Amino acid sequence: MYKSAHFSEYNAVNGVWDEMYSDNSSIRDHYQRVIEYLSKESTDNLNKKEDLARRLFMTQGITFTVYNSGEGIEKIFPFDIIPRIITASEWNFVEKGIKQRLTALNLFLKDVYHNQFIIKDGIVPIDVIYSCPHFLREMYQVDVPHDIYVHIAGIDLIRDEHGAFYVLEDNLRTPSGVSYMLENREITKRLFPDLLPQCNVRSVTEYPTILYKNLLALSPRQISNPTIVLLSPGIYNSAYFEHTTLARLMGVELVEGRDLVVNNHKVYMKTTTGLQQVDVIYRRVDDEYLDPLVFNPTSVLGVAGLMSAYRKGNVAIVNAIGNGVADDKAIYSYVPDMIKYYLNEEPLLKNVPTYQLRNADEREFTFANINSMVVKKTNGSGGYGMLMGHAADEQEIEDYKKEILKDPRNFIAQPTISLSAAPCYIQGMLQPRRIDLRPYALCGPDGIEIVPGGLTRVALKEGSLVVNSSQGGGSKDTWVLA
Amino acid sequence: MPEFKIQHITRYTYDGMVRDSANQIILFPIVDANQDVLKHDLTITGNPLVDTHIDYYGNEVGSFTYLEQHNRMVINSEVLVVTHAKELPSETTPAATQWQKLSALQNIVPYIDFLKHDYFDALPDLIAVIETEKQAEDTPYQTALRFCEYVYRNFEYLPGVTTVETTIDEVLQLKAGVCQDFAHLLVLMLRLLNIPARYISGYICPNHNGMRGEGATHAWAEVYLPDYGWLGIDPTNNCIANETHVRLAVGRNFSDCSPVKGVYKGSWGHKLEVKVSVEYKDQPTAIIDAEKLPSNSFIQATEAEEFSTNSYQRYKEAMLLQQQQQQQ
Repeated sequence: MYKSAHFSEYNAVNGVWDEMYSDNSSIRDHYQRVIEYLSKESTDNLNKKEDLARRLFMTQGITFTVYNSGEGIEKIFPFDIIPRIITASEWNFVEKGIKQRLTALNLFLKDVYHNQFIIKDGIVPIDVIYSCPHFLREMYQVDVPHDIYVHIAGIDLIRDEHGAFYVLEDNLRTPSGVSYMLENREITKRLFPDLLPQCNVRSVTEYPTILYKNLLALSPRQISNPTIVLLSPGIYNSAYFEHTTLARLMGVELVEGRDLVVNNHKVYMKTTTGLQQVDVIYRRVDDEYLDPLVFNPTSVLGVAGLMSAYRKGNVAIVNAIGNGVADDKAIYSYVPDMIKYYLNEEPLLKNVPTYQLRNADEREFTFANINSMVVKKTNGSGGYGMLMGHAADEQEIEDYKKEILKDPRNFIAQPTISLSAAPCYIQGMLQPRRIDLRPYALCGPDGIEIVPGGLTRVALKEGSLVVNSSQGGGSKDTWVLA
Repeated sequence: MPEFKIQHITRYTYDGMVRDSANQIILFPIVDANQDVLKHDLTITGNPLVDTHIDYYGNEVGSFTYLEQHNRMVINSEVLVVTHAKELPSETTPAATQWQKLSALQNIVPYIDFLKHDYFDALPDLIAVIETEKQAEDTPYQTALRFCEYVYRNFEYLPGVTTVETTIDEVLQLKAGVCQDFAHLLVLMLRLLNIPARYISGYICPNHNGMRGEGATHAWAEVYLPDYGWLGIDPTNNCIANETHVRLAVGRNFSDCSPVKGVYKGSWGHKLEVKVSVEYKDQPTAIIDAEKLPSNSFIQATEAEEFSTNSYQRYKEAMLLQQQQQQQ
């Protein structure tokens, strides 16, 4: 144990995997160097660094939006200065697992919108697919470039008490947060300039370059300078900061729906010198709002006629339309079966046991054990609309049950999972807090690439298991060691 | 083997100049053993390029854009269609066997889509109605006819009380509606008894008694009967939809089949007028000039609803609300 004041109080949580401490309370090898470095720093110095980080985030406008918080719309994403460290062998395993899972999910999307072999063979029940609101019949028999549906995935991973990696959700539509991965690293460079090279931390800065390369490769026109745009819902979106950051880092135009128009099944951007044809759209607008002619007619964010341009192959859209059928939480339970079915492989990453509330017996079981369950909407995200059984009161549980019974297909339940813990610098002391990990996988014609790192989200409240930024979570820089 | 000459005019008149209009049309009659298209002329203001594709339900769907400023848009579709009467079910299979065969279809494409229904408040009431109306010994065919008659007798045909957005709950409360509401209701009642049922949009051709739904686009239902296939039934006229019903599209509901829909940028107000005229081939014809037709000769005419007098505020609210979609 180190003697310095900010380490004396660290008490690993019982029955929880601690990223820093091993069972016999000794510091794991890959944390040694950082801890050694930090223990030489005075509390005063670390406090100064923490304050500097906060000011850097604020002055650089690295913010996100919490809806209905009643405060100003922009908040900084709380940042913890102690990095989360992943060993080379752990990363190797995670990388393989994500590539395997994503390959299968991509094949599933192609299959479900074309031949539907997996339905005919009864691997995924047809009614789960056909009752999914994101199974878009408009995508049936539509061919997408290189058969890639998921160009960008943010698959959420957690670790159980033995350190095994589990997939919590597959985010295959508009995964967000990658800008925080990039910014967290930049801030760490300012706070601990000499620590990164000393520790052999792998770089994450290639992310925008790889994404840009993949977007270029999707252009339907074989020209040297295709027009690529990032389509944002607008400034009120929680991830608007990220949209501006990515557009800037890649050097592509940041547009909103009103900047685009479809003429004769081709998409154009309105510029000061007239219409300019658009080849690739990296959209951060949900399917439902993308084309008011085909989807939600009240949408003011979309581009009317976009679907017809897409169907004809005149524009590439990233991620593909209709991916929601693959990351629906009711479909999630079948992903291990998809991996076996399409790849003939055993899944590397585990799935969290999931109860389908559309099945009467699983619903009964969930209701009987609701205090140890997390109930989620199959198509929700951001931690909105879920029920944490252990923390809810009688009334909340009764109200939620009523909601479930109205449309049981829209809910799943999972046992409350004990996320792993990592040391955080809180009030001048190192304290364990629960974390998850979202690596960002990019899929292009050359295959799947994952920058070594990702976004580690932290449940900053003591004992809390909810890491979502919208629910008071923070984040950490994520180091993958070479 | 009747031949029909059908002219279907859709006319949008805008309060002011609009632009960037994108449209989708499902105006191409289905071609199969019972229906054939001999000739189809489609003229649209501005002569845009219409691209067609076959949708998930097998319908031919056209889409086009019209960017230039305009204050009216007319879609004039003239078709020459020949229909053949379909023989009615012979009902040789015992009722129990037929019901069994239907229950085996539940999780099969395409029937799965035509057996599903969403939750709505009056669901328990409607189930009670079905329980009272159905007869234990009926075949699915007899049940379909019985429910068709139930809708016909218990709901008043009253144009103007409902719109394309009217919900089933509202129709059940009003006890009135038009062909589209009747078709929605019948389809739903049949699905609740596990009989695959789909929504059909098309045209009804006049006979000597006169039919409801003439002069406009019509809608009815189709049921799937074991050992037979799809059979059209028209709850608005309480009859089998056969050779006098020309089919344009099939789907789960109206929004899968909407004959004409569009989005444009510009002033909020518009007037939509629709006129359908049908004549037997040997009748003398008078093709109408779609551009010059006076408004009072249209049967379906709707004014876009004024949601709020301040359209700037309305736009701003929509922007704020929709931009706040949760990112994953």
